[in-house]
Amino acid sequence: MSENMINTVPEGTKKTGEASSDRRKFLRKSVALAAGGAAIAATSAANAGDGLKTWTTPLKNEPTRHMLGRGVVSVPYGLPSKYESGVVRRNVGWLTADTIASISFTPWQDLHGIITPNGLHFERYHAGAVDVDPSKHHLVVHGMVKQPMIFTVDDLKRLPSHTAIHFLECPANGAMEWRGVQMDSLQFTHGMMSCSEWTGVKLTTLMEMVGVDPKATWFYGEGTDGSALQRSVPMEGAVDQHGRPIPAEYTSHYRDAMVCYAQNGEALRPENGYPIRLFIPGFEANISTKYLRRLMFVDKPLVTYQETKHYIEVLPNGMVRQYDLVNEANSVINYPCPDFKLNGKGTYEIRGIAWSGYGKIAHVDVSVDGGKNWKQANLVEPVLNKCVTKFTLPFEWDGEEALIMSRATDETGYVQPTLKQLREVRGFNSIYHKNSIQVWKIEKTGEVKNVQIENV
Amino acid sequence: MSKSKMSNWSLGLAAAAVALTLSANAFAFDAAALKSAPKVQGVGMNITDAAIKPWNISYFYDGTNLPDGKGTVSAGEKIYQEQCAMCHGDFGEGAHGYPKMVGDPVDQFEASAKAGVDAVSNRGLNNNWGNAPTLMDMIHRHMPFYAPGTLTTDEAYSVTCYVMNLASIPGVGDDFVCDKTSLPKIKMPGEPLYVTNSGPDTANQRCMKDCYKGTPFVVEKAASIGNVSVGKVKAKDTQ
Ligand code: HEC
Repeated sequence: MSENMINTVPEGTKKTGEASSDRRKFLRKSVALAAGGAAIAATSAANAGDGLKTWTTPLKNEPTRHMLGRGVVSVPYGLPSKYESGVVRRNVGWLTADTIASISFTPWQDLHGIITPNGLHFERYHAGAVDVDPSKHHLVVHGMVKQPMIFTVDDLKRLPSHTAIHFLECPANGAMEWRGVQMDSLQFTHGMMSCSEWTGVKLTTLMEMVGVDPKATWFYGEGTDGSALQRSVPMEGAVDQHGRPIPAEYTSHYRDAMVCYAQNGEALRPENGYPIRLFIPGFEANISTKYLRRLMFVDKPLVTYQETKHYIEVLPNGMVRQYDLVNEANSVINYPCPDFKLNGKGTYEIRGIAWSGYGKIAHVDVSVDGGKNWKQANLVEPVLNKCVTKFTLPFEWDGEEALIMSRATDETGYVQPTLKQLREVRGFNSIYHKNSIQVWKIEKTGEVKNVQIENV
Repeated sequence: MSKSKMSNWSLGLAAAAVALTLSANAFAFDAAALKSAPKVQGVGMNITDAAIKPWNISYFYDGTNLPDGKGTVSAGEKIYQEQCAMCHGDFGEGAHGYPKMVGDPVDQFEASAKAGVDAVSNRGLNNNWGNAPTLMDMIHRHMPFYAPGTLTTDEAYSVTCYVMNLASIPGVGDDFVCDKTSLPKIKMPGEPLYVTNSGPDTANQRCMKDCYKGTPFVVEKAASIGNVSVGKVKAKDTQ
């Protein structure tokens, strides 16, 4: 058994290719006689074609082999293959009263990298997506500043730019799973998160231009849509409305904040805040105001609707916790997951995604036995700050039931919690920030189910 | 800070200075954060506070920036029946899945949370809202949902007054008048429950081998809670 493979077969009982042929036995013997260094090559030789069915029908050409295809610009803005029509954002009807103040989910089960294509970025609206005319749009920066200023979208594009790849996650990601297993799809358990390359102006550039008063400890952004959404963002020294300090973990995220006009190299999509949005890497997405029209620097939080009613945690001691701003380390296996069925025993590659609002992913560990034993997965480059990181681990499935799960650790040493640990501190009335270890159960049939482990 | 700016802010700053007893240094953002910011010239325009005023519509929790004007419970009742009740219910109980105005009494809300039974579905202005000025802010900017930002200041004060009356907020009797001096004085029942996050609250360890004894208790989907079909994508065979 190769060192970096994880398997559901107990070590020592496993015999590669049990339905062995005479040829195979012969190879084994010769391997046993050979020097130790030859073991890897011999293993692959022993596996070649072993135990597989044989295709005998002569191959036929596909229809496309004898025809002409479409000319250039027949589709001026390219679209996915018609065979990929199932790869779309989806929503859950019963979650919200209508689709205007609602959410849709990214189909991570069908994505293979770390970037979410723009048309698949999750959506969250409080008053629907609007079409803001960039030639008429302005951004005002004011409050505790030396000089209030106003910018056109072109002004912002002229300023020194900043580009970085970051995830953006609604803190309600996983919300439906707090009280029990509910959604049999990765899209619905983890799809309120997307990851893009963002381009815009750094907030600090604008702060320097307007001369922010060093006594400012908060700022907020406001949108030009019907919700005119506003959220308070803490800076160093921020205290809440009761004079209680905001933890230091949360008061430097604003330094990476930007006013974005581009997403994956093209203009923002209307769904994601065209023509400009605020973006604060690592923080819950609600704070990254879309359709941004105003930034105000202040010395206290607003305590808005979003901060008093929506983005709070009702704790088991009856208190209501505010300013849970960071999306802490999280990860999930997106292959296999409930959206696929395994096609017989043998080798698979476990693949997944991990992310943390505190920084880079340091390790991802994978277990296939319900969390008793773990193996460190391979992290696929690039491994970036507050960004989705892909991980892989070869997996040999023996055709028996298996409980597969991943556990991320970020560069601060924070380890993704189990559901039990999370429920111990947050109880059952939480809605947001459910970043616990996700367990998938592989059935003997190859079907994959969403399950929860309650006792460990 | 420009001259006109001062007038806007002097009130708020004074209030903060009285309310908070931390040292002056504790209020400063780290100006070092701006050290690496590029120096830029000739981009954008200066703007006056008077020009910004129509956009400066945020009312702080403590009443800072609340507008002139006033509203009454009785005027609010009429507006509520015409523009709000279809979604939030005649008695604030919520309709068609839209939010309730009136939730469980705050002690019941707290007891449910402590007992680990559902507390969040029965939230309302009387158990999960911190400050009356931000209720005015929310209604004036975002409601009615189908025509946000269309209420006049007096209408917004009135309907804010009415929904608080509906939710039996202490002090908001039938004759109560809502304005920029009365709203900050209202004690919302849910306010004392708010606490502030203090950083990561779980401490999992990175165990690699024999991490626990016994069998995992695996829970599969409960039949009683929602189910969703994802159509074709579900159970797609691997290639
Ligand atoms: C068409 C339905 C509809 C109408 C009519 C409507 N609202 Fe709302 N209301 C909503 C929705 C949807 C939300 C949640 C908004 C969000 O998610 O940002 C909401 C939220 C609220 C809230 C916050 C309560 C909470 O717990 O989330 C208040 C207060 C409120 N509305 C007051 C009003 C008032 C006052 C009016 C009439 C002037 C009104 N609404 C008219 C749909 C409506």
